[in-house]
Amino acid sequence: MMRVCHLDTCPVGIATQNPELRKRFSGKPEFVVNFFEYIAQEVREYLAQLGFKTLQEAVGHVEVLDTRHAVTHWKAKGLDISPILAVAQNPYQQTLHHSVVQDHGLGNALDTQLLTQCVSAINDATPIQLDLSISNVNRTVGTMLGSAVTKKWGSAGLPLDTISLRFTGSAGQSLGAFLPNGISILLHGDANDYLGKGLSGGRIVLRPSTRATFSPQDNVIAGNVIGYGATSGEIFINGLVGERFCVRNSGATAVVEGIGDHGCEYMTGGRVVVLGVTGRNFAAGMSGGIAYVYDADGLFESRVNAEMVDVVEPNAHDASWLRETIEQHVRLTASPLGAEMLEDWANAYVKFRKVLPRDYARVMAIIDQAKIDGVSDEETSRRVMEPVNG
Amino acid sequence: MGEPTGFINWKRTTPKRRPIPVRVADWHEVYEAFPAVDLKHQAGRCMDCGIPFCNNGCPLGNLIPDWNDLVYRDNWHDALDRLHATNNFPEFTGRLCPAPCESACVLGINQDPVAIKQVEVEIIDRAWNEGWVTPFVSTHKTGKRVAVIGSGPAGLAAAQQLTRAGHDVVVLERDDRIGGLLRYGIPEFKMEKRHIDRRVEQMTQEGTEFRINAAVGDNVDIDVLVASHDAVVLACGATQWRDLPVPGRELKGIYQAMEYLPPSNRVQQGDISETTISAHGKHVVIIGGGDTGADCLGTAHRQGALSVTQLEIMPRPPDVRADENPWPQWSLVFRTSSAHEEGGERVFSVNTDRFVGDTDGVVRALVLNEVELVDGKFVTVPGTERELQTDLVLLALGFIGPEKKAWLDQLGVALDARGNIARTDEYATNIPGVFVAGDMGRGQSLIVWAIAEGRACAAAVDQRLMGSSTLPTPIVASARPMA
Repeated sequence: MMRVCHLDTCPVGIATQNPELRKRFSGKPEFVVNFFEYIAQEVREYLAQLGFKTLQEAVGHVEVLDTRHAVTHWKAKGLDISPILAVAQNPYQQTLHHSVVQDHGLGNALDTQLLTQCVSAINDATPIQLDLSISNVNRTVGTMLGSAVTKKWGSAGLPLDTISLRFTGSAGQSLGAFLPNGISILLHGDANDYLGKGLSGGRIVLRPSTRATFSPQDNVIAGNVIGYGATSGEIFINGLVGERFCVRNSGATAVVEGIGDHGCEYMTGGRVVVLGVTGRNFAAGMSGGIAYVYDADGLFESRVNAEMVDVVEPNAHDASWLRETIEQHVRLTASPLGAEMLEDWANAYVKFRKVLPRDYARVMAIIDQAKIDGVSDEETSRRVMEPVNG
Repeated sequence: MGEPTGFINWKRTTPKRRPIPVRVADWHEVYEAFPAVDLKHQAGRCMDCGIPFCNNGCPLGNLIPDWNDLVYRDNWHDALDRLHATNNFPEFTGRLCPAPCESACVLGINQDPVAIKQVEVEIIDRAWNEGWVTPFVSTHKTGKRVAVIGSGPAGLAAAQQLTRAGHDVVVLERDDRIGGLLRYGIPEFKMEKRHIDRRVEQMTQEGTEFRINAAVGDNVDIDVLVASHDAVVLACGATQWRDLPVPGRELKGIYQAMEYLPPSNRVQQGDISETTISAHGKHVVIIGGGDTGADCLGTAHRQGALSVTQLEIMPRPPDVRADENPWPQWSLVFRTSSAHEEGGERVFSVNTDRFVGDTDGVVRALVLNEVELVDGKFVTVPGTERELQTDLVLLALGFIGPEKKAWLDQLGVALDARGNIARTDEYATNIPGVFVAGDMGRGQSLIVWAIAEGRACAAAVDQRLMGSSTLPTPIVASARPMA
């Protein structure tokens, strides 16, 4: 009814964090139950009018639609919408609704094998290391395994590297999606899109094939939308990747050696390190987290979407974190580029730029001050929201 | 939306009413001027809802969020355009409408609704004062002749729409001035009559012809009228009052509200120096707790009544919505109009049993009982009978439909089950070319419904005369408020 869910002004106290407005919420779960009962009742009435017993029976029966209002509506003047209202021919008298169960082939998924091999790791946290080959028909590898770990151990997962999966080859889409704490994936080769999607504490390391002769920092090694919606965990990539790197990342740390357009889009938390060139529109809609970018050509700022962020110099605190993180990147991926930077760290460091969302910086400053003042969480939250709640 | 947090920042306010001793000493409207900054804030409380229920609360479909926003941004010309886009007479509705839009305002779910009516009246008053309201003269003439019988809000709206569409329109009014109930029913303190005069002047310049003292069935023959026009719109209202057939009704000193209010209004018009039925020095009892009763109340106080008691058969409404009367329905709550504020006593849940007269046949008291509602019927509470001294009784019991005059039979127009003129959803009666708009087809209703009907009926007439119409149709004839 309101369409202001994005403004934090919801007058009935639903889509808002403002305590004053939340006081106005007068709903009860019973109302929702009522509402859905009414909908169900009305659906039944319409179905009865049309001569159907179930929704399934009604699916596909275009001929019973009352299309007069749609056709005679002034906005439809000049439009011939009969093709989309045509009754589909059905010479073999097939059902018009879903009636054959789809086989997703989950039984053939690589995870089925992993689940068997990792039984004792999952049940007893016994460390295991597996060396396997992978190809691009293996999609979403590690996700069902991760699900088993989470079911058993909850969001805390397992200690780092309890399950260590070492793959060789070209991974299919969504390698390590939703991977929890305790599972690490090392891939020698390359990966498709969505690597580390929804990463939930696990670690993914991607490096070129041991037989590769190219220079990693000049070659694309994985696809688009890596780390999409990741909440925690680590991604280390020894090479270049595509667009929308770490879009909607809210807590993971990711290191990469160069990215395409729209990096860190809508990011709300976590940290991203880019050791090489980015595409355009970096940090569009980025409201939280921090990105460190090595400005090799001095043109990085021109590629930043500055609507919500500032590009600033890293401070001493940043410098030590950055160095440690790159050291780890080199340790895990043997990145020649990273090693080169560490060798001449003083000169490399000065070329790093820090991308900091303005509101995020303001909130972090308030939180830091609140810690110094030793106030309650509630007071901290009040101070943070004061400018919007009034 | 002018200000996203406007509804949090500012509370609802409406203009102050003039001090009671001052305002009952004259007949002018009761409200003081509203400071511009307050108005801006009130307009800024509008939340620009994705689905603005006020649009539906109002049968005219007034574009309320649009003009609230424009007023907040100080864009008055555009606000006026948006206001006039759906409403021919905002200066009437802004004063007289009980504002179902405000009952439907989304903010009203848990707060005081936006002061929509105030914003409306401020836009149009300012527009008149600044000279922004000018005649809208049609650039072409269709040559079609339309007669509108009745010059209340429905008839005037139909006439203005049809004139602007290029038809030759004549409005026939049986009384000596244009306006219908607006003119002689509504007291001056609710709406000063200059507002009607100003609008009629605009309509005259647009080409609408007005004929006063033209009473169909009296000095106008309906058959001649129908034969000499391409279409006729019946808009005579629901002026047949409800009576109270109890013992003693024939006594002197008992009048219908619509016998009492018109002469008082004629005094304001300067036709007569003293009203023929005055409450001066009298103990007045008004039977009927509605708006007409309140009009009698304010009038009686201004005439110098010694006391005024208003009786209502229904129980006193609650102060806040009852559970069975949820938003966005019209809120059935206890309302205090300016007239109520000025004095008098309101008595609820009572029924008049009989009137008692003195030896001269003049009413001196009425006998009433308390009643309660049992299964939808009023039942007398035993032992509650009492006498109320009075020497002027005013009956404001509502209206039961159009007056059943002989000319309606002569025309042969069919009635519906409730005694209103029967019609299609397109406002057509059973007589080809004869349409009906407003209370005459709907039964007693609100001014916004009358204007909405007049507009929609005009579209139907235009459609019949021209084969197509671009005039708007805010409602079909069978549309009813959500209940």
